[in-house]
Amino acid sequence: MRPRPPRPPALVQPRTALAFTAAVAALAAAPFVLRLSPYTHNLVTLTFLMVSGALAWNWMGGYVGQVSFGHAAMFGLGGFVAARLMLLEPPSPAPLAWLVGGLAAGVFALGAHPTLRLRGPYFSIATIGLGEAARLVFTYWENFTGGSSVLSLPIDVDAKIRLYWWGLGLMAIVIAASFVIRRSTLGLQLLAIKADVDAAGDAGVNATFYQDLVFVLSGAVVGITGGLYASYFSFIEPNDMFGFDRSIGFVLMSVIGGVGTIFGPVLGAIVFVLLRQFLLASYPQLYLGLYGLLLIFIILFEPLGLSGLAIRVARRFGRGHRAAAKASIA
Amino acid sequence: MARLVDLILSSVLLAGLYATMAYGLGLIYGVLRVVNLAHGGVIMAGAYLGWVLHKAFGLDPYLSIPVVIAVTFGLGVVMYRLLVRHLPRGAAGGPASLLLLFGVWLVLRNAAYLLFSGNDQSVRTTYSTRAVPILGSYVSVNRLAVLAIALVTSVLLHLLLKRTYLGRAIRAVAQNPDSCTLVGVDVERIYTITFGIGSALAGLAGVLSATIFSFNPAFGSGELLKSFVVVVLGGLGSVFGVGVAALILAVVEVFAILILPSYLTAAVGFVLLVLVLVARPGGLFGQRVLG
Repeated sequence: MRPRPPRPPALVQPRTALAFTAAVAALAAAPFVLRLSPYTHNLVTLTFLMVSGALAWNWMGGYVGQVSFGHAAMFGLGGFVAARLMLLEPPSPAPLAWLVGGLAAGVFALGAHPTLRLRGPYFSIATIGLGEAARLVFTYWENFTGGSSVLSLPIDVDAKIRLYWWGLGLMAIVIAASFVIRRSTLGLQLLAIKADVDAAGDAGVNATFYQDLVFVLSGAVVGITGGLYASYFSFIEPNDMFGFDRSIGFVLMSVIGGVGTIFGPVLGAIVFVLLRQFLLASYPQLYLGLYGLLLIFIILFEPLGLSGLAIRVARRFGRGHRAAAKASIA
Repeated sequence: MARLVDLILSSVLLAGLYATMAYGLGLIYGVLRVVNLAHGGVIMAGAYLGWVLHKAFGLDPYLSIPVVIAVTFGLGVVMYRLLVRHLPRGAAGGPASLLLLFGVWLVLRNAAYLLFSGNDQSVRTTYSTRAVPILGSYVSVNRLAVLAIALVTSVLLHLLLKRTYLGRAIRAVAQNPDSCTLVGVDVERIYTITFGIGSALAGLAGVLSATIFSFNPAFGSGELLKSFVVVVLGGLGSVFGVGVAALILAVVEVFAILILPSYLTAAVGFVLLVLVLVARPGGLFGQRVLG
């Protein structure tokens, strides 16, 4: 008798799905229960947006292992397309504008196709070039982006409050998508590409197609995030939206939390937003350098970032098995 | 016609600076296989060092070059011994070394903000505005001096790599570090020295830039990308190749002014970078290294 093939593991454990739904529901109810101040409320909204962006960046930087230093191009494009649509007469509804912005960013990301055959540092350098070129071109294109003066959207306080739930929804979808990608065949194929493109190709993985696919998905989500961000801030400026610092922000959030994990970028984005808020308020003159030091320490001592640190701490307290299991989920 | 001569002259003058910037990046990549993202930061540090020496001690920026070279060499040695040495080598270390050295750049930038504020600075000397007529157009003395120093640097670098024991050892380590260990070359020492020389070249480029351009702590990012373009374009076949590549970049940039609005000319370099990378995916820096 032939042995039965082992059952593939379930895509998502029921318990995980339940915990996830409960967490999202709790976050959705939080503003009603906790009576957050507008400041805290908006800060949490911003965190949702950044978590979404960081996770989408991580699909490319973590799963495929292609570290992009140019994601601001998609962020900015999504933001400006959405803003332009909302400024039309009559204005298009915000959710539609965000979606179209994301679509535009996705199409734009497809334009990066030629760079995807580059690996490692070459890809990273090419994305720096693309990102900076996009920044210059869009800053120059005044009819679209308003040039170096800002593009302002009508300020609507209620809409900004409502953005909390839109942001939460986006984040929930992106987290779920990260899980599905990671646990599905697609995730395994991406891991194979990350480990060795040539070997993956020999094993029948269409590396070109999957890299394009993930880059477009990642770009589209970052574009949608950009659109929500435009609504959030009301004033957007190409040099900020397309800026190199923004691209670096996506990299930093994932690196701080732990590249390639799901838990990592979420945690990294939270730490990033809070740290940024705190530093800009209290020590604006140390802001850059502290991020630099953080990067140096993480790369030298804990390449898996805060996730790695958490695993290490868990192991120290003798729960090695569960920690290892968590690591494989993450 | 006179305009054409003007443009060609300014391309050539710019090319010298571009080549000097690129040598450091190329040398470090060629030997250690590490893309030094802190390169722009070291260029910025070199510029500020020249400025401080000029302002505090009245030292002429060209006379301060030995000091700048010594200090940035030391900076490179410290960066290597303290940080880069601990990274995994080869493909695995790629993203890690990029991020690590980017962190170093952020720290350098922040230090410059703290020390010198974010204002634009420039080194002004008595001869800053002087120009001499060449082929019917006036050329700034500073730019001529920068070109001359760049040429001398190229020749010295070529001689160092080709004619000295150290240069031979550097080229050997670039080819095969394991074999070098077998025949008694101290590979770690060569790595340290190479990182030092690469940083010193970046510092030199910085102090040369300072005599021509104004700068602030964010200075160096454009320079870093331009260095990439040159290194990618020229490969590391020879010091000569880098020089030619620098000239190509300078000509493209200068002539772009004719057809593009001035604001967009900076984008030309970035587009060129992506095009060259994509057209030569096999090896960023060519097959032979420093051969």
